[in-house]
Amino acid sequence: MRKILVANRGEIAVRVIRACRDMALASVAVYSEGDRTSRHVRMADEACAIGPNAPRESYLNIDRLIDVARRTGADAVHPGYGFLAENPDFAAACRDAGLTFIGPTPEAIALMGSKTEARRAATAAGVPVVPGTERPFAADDPDEAIAAAAQRLGYPLLIKAVAGGGGKGMRTVANSADLMSGLHAARSEAGTAFGDSAIYLERRLVRPRHIEVQLLGDQHGDVLPFVERECSIQRRHQKVIEESPSPFVTSALRTQLTSAAAAVARGVGYTGAGTIEFLIDEAERFWFLEMNTRLQVEHPITEMVTGIDLIEWQIRIARGEQLDIDPVLANTPDGHAIECRIYAEDPDLGFIPSPGRIAALRAAAGPWVRDDGGAESGGEVPIHYDPLISKLSAWGPDRPRAIARMTRALREYEVLGIQTTVPFFRWMLVQPAFLAAKFHTAYLDELLQQRGGEPFATADKDEENAAVVAAALHLVSRGPAPTGVATVVARESVPVTAASKPGWKGRARAEALRA
Amino acid sequence: MTFELEAGGAARHVESRGAQLLLDGRLVDVDAVRAGHGWSMLIGNRSYEVSVVERAPGDLIVHVNGRAVTVRAALQRFGSRRTQRETGIGASATGVQRVVAPMPGRIARVLVKAGDAVAARQGLIVVEAMKMENELRSPRAGIVAEVRATAGALVEANAVLIIIE
Repeated sequence: MRKILVANRGEIAVRVIRACRDMALASVAVYSEGDRTSRHVRMADEACAIGPNAPRESYLNIDRLIDVARRTGADAVHPGYGFLAENPDFAAACRDAGLTFIGPTPEAIALMGSKTEARRAATAAGVPVVPGTERPFAADDPDEAIAAAAQRLGYPLLIKAVAGGGGKGMRTVANSADLMSGLHAARSEAGTAFGDSAIYLERRLVRPRHIEVQLLGDQHGDVLPFVERECSIQRRHQKVIEESPSPFVTSALRTQLTSAAAAVARGVGYTGAGTIEFLIDEAERFWFLEMNTRLQVEHPITEMVTGIDLIEWQIRIARGEQLDIDPVLANTPDGHAIECRIYAEDPDLGFIPSPGRIAALRAAAGPWVRDDGGAESGGEVPIHYDPLISKLSAWGPDRPRAIARMTRALREYEVLGIQTTVPFFRWMLVQPAFLAAKFHTAYLDELLQQRGGEPFATADKDEENAAVVAAALHLVSRGPAPTGVATVVARESVPVTAASKPGWKGRARAEALRA
Repeated sequence: MTFELEAGGAARHVESRGAQLLLDGRLVDVDAVRAGHGWSMLIGNRSYEVSVVERAPGDLIVHVNGRAVTVRAALQRFGSRRTQRETGIGASATGVQRVVAPMPGRIARVLVKAGDAVAARQGLIVVEAMKMENELRSPRAGIVAEVRATAGALVEANAVLIIIE
C-alpha cells in the first residue's frame, strides 16, 4: 500500500490525510465543485474533481471515485465516516477494482448495516437486544400488521429505519394514536436518506444511557475491544458531547460490555474498526443497540485515553498486519477525555443551520486540547454537507479536570461570520446534572425544553459595555459604509483622533467603566 | 464625535472628545489597539478580546471574550458627499465661520450664546436626527456672533445655526 484515496471531505478527510502523512503514505483527495479551496484538497498530495456539489453527484458517486483511484494509481480507499463509509456496494466496487478498502468486508457491512440482521447476530452471540420486532417491515407491508406488532411490543416505542443511522428515519411514538403519523414520517425520511423505507419497531427504554465500545478486528481472527465511550448527551438522537470513559461504568461493567462487544464482532468475523452501541439502564442492565461498521466521529477521545491511533490501525489491518496492541492498554483508560461537536448552527434559533463564509477562525490549542477541524478563516460552510466545523477534544487526568480544560478551550475558540454551537457548549458544561454525570439519552432534549428563549451566551455588564465601546471604535475606524448609501451618522467638527492614530488610545483618569 | 447605539435593549451613547471617551456620559479608561481579528481593549485593567462583524451597515455583532453582543447604530441616508463637506470641518478655519446643520433634524441642545468666547473644537450645538446626536464644534477659536437656532427647533440640512467671528 502506497497511495490512499480519501473518499470524503471536511475534518475526517483532513484526519485521514494526516494519518497517511504520519505513515509516509501518499494521499489523494477528491472534491466537489464547491470544495476546490477546502482544506483537505490543499493538504493532500493529489486532488481530483468528482462533480457538482450535490453529494449524489460527487461524494456518493461510486463510479467517479473508482475512476479517480485508477487514474491516480491509488491502491487503497479510506471512506471516512458518512457518505459511502457503510455502503457495501462501494466496498465491493473497491474490491472488484483491485483496491484495498480500508474497512470491513462488504459482507460484514451489509450484515451489520441491517439493523434487524445485526440484532440477530447479537442474539446469536448471547448478547441481549432491546425488545423489538424480529423482522423488518417492507415499504409495502400493510399498516395494520405494523399496528398489531406495535400493540404486542407495547408503548412507548421507537420506529427505526432498517438502513438507518445518525437519528434519521427514527421516530418516538408515545401511544397508538401517534403510530401512523410517526410511521409515515420515518418511512419518508428513511426513503430520502437511505433509499430504503423499510422500518422496524423497538421498545423505548426509559431514560437509558447510550454507551458504546470501539473495537478493532484484524484479518487473523483477533478482535480487540477498547474502553467505552459515553454518548448519552444527545439532541434529537444526535450525539453532541461524548466522553471516555463513561462516568457511569465500573470496571466490572466495563469487562461485561467489552466482552459482549467482542463476542458480537467475533461472531460475524469482523475486520477493521467498528463500534458496538449499547443502551444501559440504571440497574446496569445493557442491551445491544446497533453496530457502526466504520470509524466513528468521536474516535479522538478513545485515542486520547489510550494513546492508540485508530486510523493508523485501520490502515495496518487493511494491509494485513496482526493486531499487536496490549489489551490492557486498550481497555484501561488513562485519564478522561471529552469531545464537543462544534456545528455551524445557531443555538439561539433552535439550532438552525448557519452556513456561510467564516470571516475568521481561531481554533483552541494549548495543553491536552485537540482540534479536529476542516474549516478555516475565509472558508465557506457549504449548505450541501454536514455543518460540522470542528470536533474539539480535551483531556484531563480525571473528569473534572477534562471539563475544566474543555471550558477553557471553548472560550478560546473563535469563529466569526457564522453562528456556531460554542455558546451552547459553554452553557452545557456548567449544568449541574452534567457536572454530576447524572444524565440519560433524553436529558438534553428535556433540559432544552425547560429553557425559555434566553440566549445561551449572555455577556455580563462589563462585556456589554466593552462591546458598545468596540462598536463605536469600529464605526470610527471603518469610515463611511462602503456603498455610501447608508452611512452611520457621526460627524465631527475636528479631525478624527481615534482612527488616525495607530492603536487608538483614550485614557481618562476620573472614572473607569467598571461601576 | 458621538454615537447613539443600542445594545441589550438599551440606548447607549458613546462620545469621543479628543483622547477621551465617554460612555453614557461617563469617562472610560480604555486602551484599545488593533490585534488578532479585531481589537484588544483594556478597560480598567480588565482585558477584553473583541472582534466586530458588521452584518449590514450599522448592524454589528461584537464578540467580547467569546460572547456575542448585538449592537445597532442609527443610520441616515445622505444625498451626496458634497453635503458632508459643506459642514463643520469642510469650511476653512479662518474668517467668519458658519456652522450649518449636517442633516435635517432637531436641535437637541444649544451649548453657547451670542457673545461667548469659544475655543477651537469646543462644542457649540447638538443636532439630533434618527436618534443620533451630533455635536457640532467650533472650527476655530473666536466669538459667537449669532445663534440662529433654539433647542427643540426643527432644522433643514445646511441651515446656518451659529456664526463664529
